[in-house]
Amino acid sequence: QATATDRAVGFGLVAFSLILFVYYTLWIIVLPFIDSDHSIHRYFLPREYAVIIPMVAGLLLLLFIGVFIMVVMWKSRKPASKSD
Amino acid sequence: MTKLAQWLCVLALLGSAWAALALSPASLQLPEPFRRALLPLPVYLLVTVGCFSLATVGFRLATFNDCEEAAAELQEHIAMARADLRLRGLRFQPQ
Repeated sequence: QATATDRAVGFGLVAFSLILFVYYTLWIIVLPFIDSDHSIHRYFLPREYAVIIPMVAGLLLLLFIGVFIMVVMWKSRKPASKSD
Repeated sequence: MTKLAQWLCVLALLGSAWAALALSPASLQLPEPFRRALLPLPVYLLVTVGCFSLATVGFRLATFNDCEEAAAELQEHIAMARADLRLRGLRFQPQ
């Protein structure tokens, strides 16, 4: 059996990605087919955000990865070699 | 054909189909709701792939069982190897 924290985090990730997928699918694919005076539109932001938010999140992810690599490379540089 | 080439071919196919529908002249366009659902499709597919990857990682994390016996056995092997190497003169840093 995996550790309790492992299982909690793992299933938490599964639940999170499921919720995200369902919400995003409703937003992008289902909502255009529903009349604009139906109350469900209250739960969704204007449609432009469906593209802007993932792009910003993607850029932030790349930024984070880049900074992380920078930090790791900085920490692992060897001391400058002495010359005679 | 390599896997990469296969994936690129499929992507090129889907991408050109999407571009053909999205950039079509006003007279040939799909009805309005379909068009509104079509335009963000590349971003949607990207987010879907991301969600699927996250769910797979989470699920494998949750279902990967600990192997207590193997861990104990490994620690034993390590201790034996260290003792043996110490006999042969290798100095260890404090672990």
